[in-house]
Amino acid sequence: MLEQSKIEKITSDLLRPIRLSKSFMAWMGFLGVSLVVCLGAYAMQLKDGLVVTGLGDYVSWGMYISNFVFFVATSLIGMLISAVLGLSGAKWASPLARIAEIIALAFAAVAGLVIVSDMGHPERLLNVFMYGRIQSPILWDVTVVTIYVLISALFLYIPLIPDLKICADKLDKLPPFARNIYKALSLNWSGSHEQEKIIKQLTRAIAIFIIPVALAIHTVTSWLFASTSRVGWDSTIFGPYFVTGAFVSGTAAVIIAMYFYRKNYKLEDYITLSHFDKIGKLLVLVSLIYLYFNLNEYMVPGYKMKKFDAIHLNALFTGTHALLFWSVQIFGLILPIILLVFNKMRKPLPMLVIASFVLVGAWFKRYIIVIPTMEHPFLPIQNVPLNFKVYSPTLIETLVTIAPFILVLLIITILSKVIPIISIHETIKELEEKNN
Amino acid sequence: MLRKNIPYRFVLTVILVASFYLQPFAQGWDVPADKKAKNSYIKFDKATAKEGETVYTKNCQSCHGDIGKNNSLKSLKPIPPDLSSTKSQQLTDGELFYILNTGRMIMPSFNNVLSETDRWKVISYIRSFNNSYIQVLSKTDPTKSNLVKINLSYDSINSIVRVQVTASEKAGVVALKNSEIILFANRYFGKLQIDKTLRTDNDGIALFRFTKNLPGDKSGNVELIVKVNDDKYGEILSQSKLKIGVPTDKPSLTEKRAIWNVLLKAPIWLIITYTSGVLIFGVFLLFLLYGLFRIKKSGNN
Ligand code: HEC
Repeated sequence: MLEQSKIEKITSDLLRPIRLSKSFMAWMGFLGVSLVVCLGAYAMQLKDGLVVTGLGDYVSWGMYISNFVFFVATSLIGMLISAVLGLSGAKWASPLARIAEIIALAFAAVAGLVIVSDMGHPERLLNVFMYGRIQSPILWDVTVVTIYVLISALFLYIPLIPDLKICADKLDKLPPFARNIYKALSLNWSGSHEQEKIIKQLTRAIAIFIIPVALAIHTVTSWLFASTSRVGWDSTIFGPYFVTGAFVSGTAAVIIAMYFYRKNYKLEDYITLSHFDKIGKLLVLVSLIYLYFNLNEYMVPGYKMKKFDAIHLNALFTGTHALLFWSVQIFGLILPIILLVFNKMRKPLPMLVIASFVLVGAWFKRYIIVIPTMEHPFLPIQNVPLNFKVYSPTLIETLVTIAPFILVLLIITILSKVIPIISIHETIKELEEKNN
Repeated sequence: MLRKNIPYRFVLTVILVASFYLQPFAQGWDVPADKKAKNSYIKFDKATAKEGETVYTKNCQSCHGDIGKNNSLKSLKPIPPDLSSTKSQQLTDGELFYILNTGRMIMPSFNNVLSETDRWKVISYIRSFNNSYIQVLSKTDPTKSNLVKINLSYDSINSIVRVQVTASEKAGVVALKNSEIILFANRYFGKLQIDKTLRTDNDGIALFRFTKNLPGDKSGNVELIVKVNDDKYGEILSQSKLKIGVPTDKPSLTEKRAIWNVLLKAPIWLIITYTSGVLIFGVFLLFLLYGLFRIKKSGNN
């Protein structure tokens, strides 16, 4: 048996962040004000429609759709860390599971909103449900995103039940209504053998089920592009290309979150240097796989240079988009891989910097996937003003693109203020197992 | 050989290039005097201007912009003028009508796109931006067109469509002589002109050569439209079906189940894949909820 004092230390360590602090209020205030500014921009878009953006007849998918792909991508990380690593018995990753699931849930839930921001008439979203055609990947996407959000919420909630009980019992200075919510959500948890068994069964089932769902959500997102015959999208490997890219941005997001949680919540004993070391290696692995897909995606058509592909690829390799294209590949992928191979680089601070580059690179990678293709239609663009041909986002559009990031940060911040971001129940159980 | 050609080619090139560049500045419309003097039989008032605005928004705004705001499509060459400009407003009603009918280069001809009434209404709208404009109404009586009768027949041996235009005046039936006459076949995306624009002879008859291979409907019917333009009787349109086309019975592309069809005609494999995916999720969700219920119940004991 574990000594009581140790259990109490773990509990109090992990419960400590759950209280309202001054820095939390300041951070929330900052997020709130930024959100209001961005919503103001969105209100202008609602009033005047998409003319306030840089979108037009030719480039009708711009930053909003890139943003959507990025959000869906990042949300896949819950599946990688909690499900894939969990099921394969990689114990080291289990303290990171909840962080990954919070990130997954936040990004997935907001992804649905991001797509609505691309609609001049958001109320017409209802048309998808009323007149949707199951032949259209758009409908599959809406379906699978909804399912993924629900599953991710349950994947976060079910393993959380024992911790909710601990919260209800151990948190002092809790207003009664909050305690009641914790109690209600903890479903009479008593830690009985039977309850433990059911939770284990459910968690395992959901971990298995979420793998195909997560693969589906991002594969379908890739099919939104790949089911057309446009240059740059007409590719058979778009599904795995997107999924592997998703693991890169998701892992980077988790690393950034780990850094701040560890530092702000003083969790050095729980999110250790070894965790950084291991997830750094994981980032190298997923980045290498993604690099391999990039090689296929660009080198094979680049070798053949078919008539229409050539226009597109030349714009990427040496033309108008070359600077962005190569920056993304070098600073967002190749350099991080090389740097992270060194032990010295797999430490919290360097990894924060590297992961930030990877994440920003991942966002611009989506931009590179979406926009240049739109600028290169099969029929030549004639007799139109320059700003129809070349996409340049407007300020309003940029603010509306930033809004989802603020929302994600808000969700993550609030969630980590109401639930322990590392499972108390699991941590204690693992220690007990180790001691026996 | 090649050398000899050079001066010749050079001159030709200069002429071509010059005419191309001078084209946008070739301002005048050179409207024949009789057309220039033509007036509208429709009164230009608030009501017709309002109806004209609808026609304008649909057919003209994309190039000419909002009248009076000088926001026409500047990337075109020549730039479509803002129609409230002095230059445009100095044109007579007849000239505006003529321009609408004939078009020039980028400016399309609306002769066969808009009815005469609609063409006058859009001019009414253009005039509503000119306060000093005073209308001179035409003396033609638009109800006179109701007297006109158009008769269509087909001579299958010579493949000729014969059109006869007559008017039943009080004094008896008279033929419309020397009036402009156009024959169209109604097609999926608009009207297809048959043969050339002709003029009726002294008996009010015009003969159109018809190509035999025009696809018709299942039984070979083709919808024909005759448009007559007469100085006295105005514009007359008449539609009739003749069995002169090649019977065509292609199954419609939306008949069978297909990717591009409506939801109810989606391919079976897609319906099965999609619904089974959603069903599997539904069952799984129930399983999870039941699990949560079991946890709660077990805690009660
Ligand atoms: C495809 C673009 C386009 C559309 C559509 C169009 N126009 Fe034009 N229009 C032009 C251009 C270009 C000119 C100048 C032509 C020239 O000078 O050779 C012009 C000239 C004119 C003029 C002569 C004006 C002047 O001052 O010389 C009139 C009148 C006019 N258009 C009326 C109309 C009306 C009415 C409609 C709709 C029923 C219409 N146009 C639709 C392109 C267009």
